[in-house]
Amino acid sequence: MKTKQLSRHRSDTYFSLFLDLPAILLTVSFIIVPIVDSVIKSFQTFGLKNIISKKPGIWNNFANYLYLLKTDEFGNATMHTFSFVLWIVVVQFVLAMLLALILNSNIKGARFMRSIMMTPWVVPTVISALIWMWLFQPQYGLLKYLVSVVTGGRVSEFAILNNPATALAGVGIAALWKQIPLMTLLLLAGLQNVPHDISEAAMIDGAGKVRRFFSIILPYLSPVIKVSLSMAIIENFKQFPLFWTMTGGGPNNATTTLAVLSYREAFVGMNLGAGAAITTLWMGMMIVVIFLYNKAFRIQDMQ
Amino acid sequence: MRKIVALLMILVVMGSFLFAAGKTEAPAADTPVTIKVANYAILESGYEPFWKGVKTGFEAKYPNITIEWVTAPYGEIVNQVVNMAGGGNIVDVLFGEIDWVPGLVDAGLAAPVKDILPAAFLNDFYPDVLKSFEVGGTPYGVPLYVSPYVLYYNMDLFKQAGLDPQKPPKTYDEMLAYAAKLSLLKDANGNKVYAFGQTTASVPVSGASLNAMVFNFGGQVLDAQGKLAVDNQGFKDAFAMLQLLDSKGYNPQNAKLKDLRNLFALGQLAMYYDQSWGFNGIKSINPNAKDFTASAEPLKGGAGTGESLLQAHCFILMDNGKTQTAAVSKFVEYVISEEVLSSYLRDLTPAYPAKKSMAAMESVANNGILKGASPAAGRVRVQTFIPKISALNLELASLAQAVTVGKQDVASSIEKFKTTATVKISQ
Repeated sequence: MKTKQLSRHRSDTYFSLFLDLPAILLTVSFIIVPIVDSVIKSFQTFGLKNIISKKPGIWNNFANYLYLLKTDEFGNATMHTFSFVLWIVVVQFVLAMLLALILNSNIKGARFMRSIMMTPWVVPTVISALIWMWLFQPQYGLLKYLVSVVTGGRVSEFAILNNPATALAGVGIAALWKQIPLMTLLLLAGLQNVPHDISEAAMIDGAGKVRRFFSIILPYLSPVIKVSLSMAIIENFKQFPLFWTMTGGGPNNATTTLAVLSYREAFVGMNLGAGAAITTLWMGMMIVVIFLYNKAFRIQDMQ
Repeated sequence: MRKIVALLMILVVMGSFLFAAGKTEAPAADTPVTIKVANYAILESGYEPFWKGVKTGFEAKYPNITIEWVTAPYGEIVNQVVNMAGGGNIVDVLFGEIDWVPGLVDAGLAAPVKDILPAAFLNDFYPDVLKSFEVGGTPYGVPLYVSPYVLYYNMDLFKQAGLDPQKPPKTYDEMLAYAAKLSLLKDANGNKVYAFGQTTASVPVSGASLNAMVFNFGGQVLDAQGKLAVDNQGFKDAFAMLQLLDSKGYNPQNAKLKDLRNLFALGQLAMYYDQSWGFNGIKSINPNAKDFTASAEPLKGGAGTGESLLQAHCFILMDNGKTQTAAVSKFVEYVISEEVLSSYLRDLTPAYPAKKSMAAMESVANNGILKGASPAAGRVRVQTFIPKISALNLELASLAQAVTVGKQDVASSIEKFKTTATVKISQ
């Protein structure tokens, strides 16, 4: 009887492995292999001629990594990437939470708002970039006009993407417009699952709105917040189309993030090895950030 | 048994596919051939009818040759060609910019044109023009037409500012005096009129245009060996001029060439540097632009004589075996001819022919738009080709942004540029 049970257990294991096989094959072929290949190339002299002639790259004693240290570009790009991720994720979370709370209340037109709110999310990223470029256009853009009106004509030449001090914020506004709807939707779904009876009990016990938000709603939302924030971190860490379309990394490299820098090295400078070195370091940083983030949430969960 | 037979049949069919994928050499003259031509212009509405006409006309003349377009937007076409080549699918011809040549030679894709095109055809090109396509003494591309960066100016705005529209500025000092008057103007909607446009956006073509500006001042960016050589007065003067233009608000900041064309077409920019074919972009925004547009020679600055950089739209050829190259040769000879390019240069893209036999073409000789800039065609300088020319051009654009929107000092910005650019072009 026991042997039969063991045999059945083994066959179930084989069957589940068989069912997993397509997913495993796809993951290995399209994610693991390219990542490993990119990491290998980051240690090689590898250019277009290697692709064309199908000759393997040549080990170059960390030359690609040393090359990144010869200028301040990599350090600046890392700083731009982290500052962009930090402020976008924080602002996005605060605004999305506010919107989710509003939509979760019984205000009139909430359903309609929920429907139209998703529009920016479904617009392709490049189109979003083009829309915002027009709004920010330095000669006849809407933003320039509004700034001129608000300042009574004192600031008549406002061009957010042309100023190294404001260009990152300009791209950030476009990113927020595009990304807030999804986070709002996720948080709204989480809010709708917060049990009313506990909230009501707290209210009867005299807890105010703020106390209920921080002591009941937020803890219940914790799993949703964790997922939505990690999605936002990853999305903005790897943000490329908005930067490339809106600024190309300028002005004066003020918006050159790791994504832009790796593209420039690989496909403008045609130095695929250096491009791979940047993406390898970039991937490493992202893994560390997500690891620390998960650890922080785990500690919070335990508390 | 049935299974074994089926398996054998599958193997035979697969084997026949494999062998069929191999290259064939020297077939009969009337064997159908398809040549793959990578061409971003097919996706641009202004040029699409011309290229469709080329295909129709060429296939009618050579019924055994079919053109298959490979398309991608301007900024992506080189990557498209490289990615295809990486997969073993090499296009036969790429229509593109002269600056794309060194990268494709370095990649081992571009073939020497002498290996594909007949000597009689090549001998008809101006020697200096063909020399501009040389890497290691061998030309790797053929131009359809060429142009230095020309100064386009708006005659109506000149009149409004009390300037003689028949006397465009010849030096940067004259231009600054003109700009002082032009910058006081407003367009019909009360918008500011920019006096002078020089592209400085974060794209390689802006760097090429800045390189031309350095030539205006008698400076250089690279020496004859392709090494960075920016310790010259002309280079410093050019970027000091950019800073001055920015501080006076004459130059639209961070603008791409297409932004300048847009402003010029709308009457918000009085003068600007562009490739001659940029006029097609102006015209597509404002069909009446020909009534107010005129061209002038590049300005002289400092000790310079107003030399400029040669720009060209060209064919870059790839060697896919004798059958393909024979068809490619016919295609190139067909397109770079008076018969095909005459209407193109007259109606679409004002530019200068690259072949001696086309010099007297009516569409060029009587081109009102190009008339003023014509003497500049003889004052172009050949830029040394290096594989990292696009990366260098991007660094030039960054330098321009540092001294303009970055408000940084010219001398220290040039020092920083030297460090970065040296690393970039040596890797």
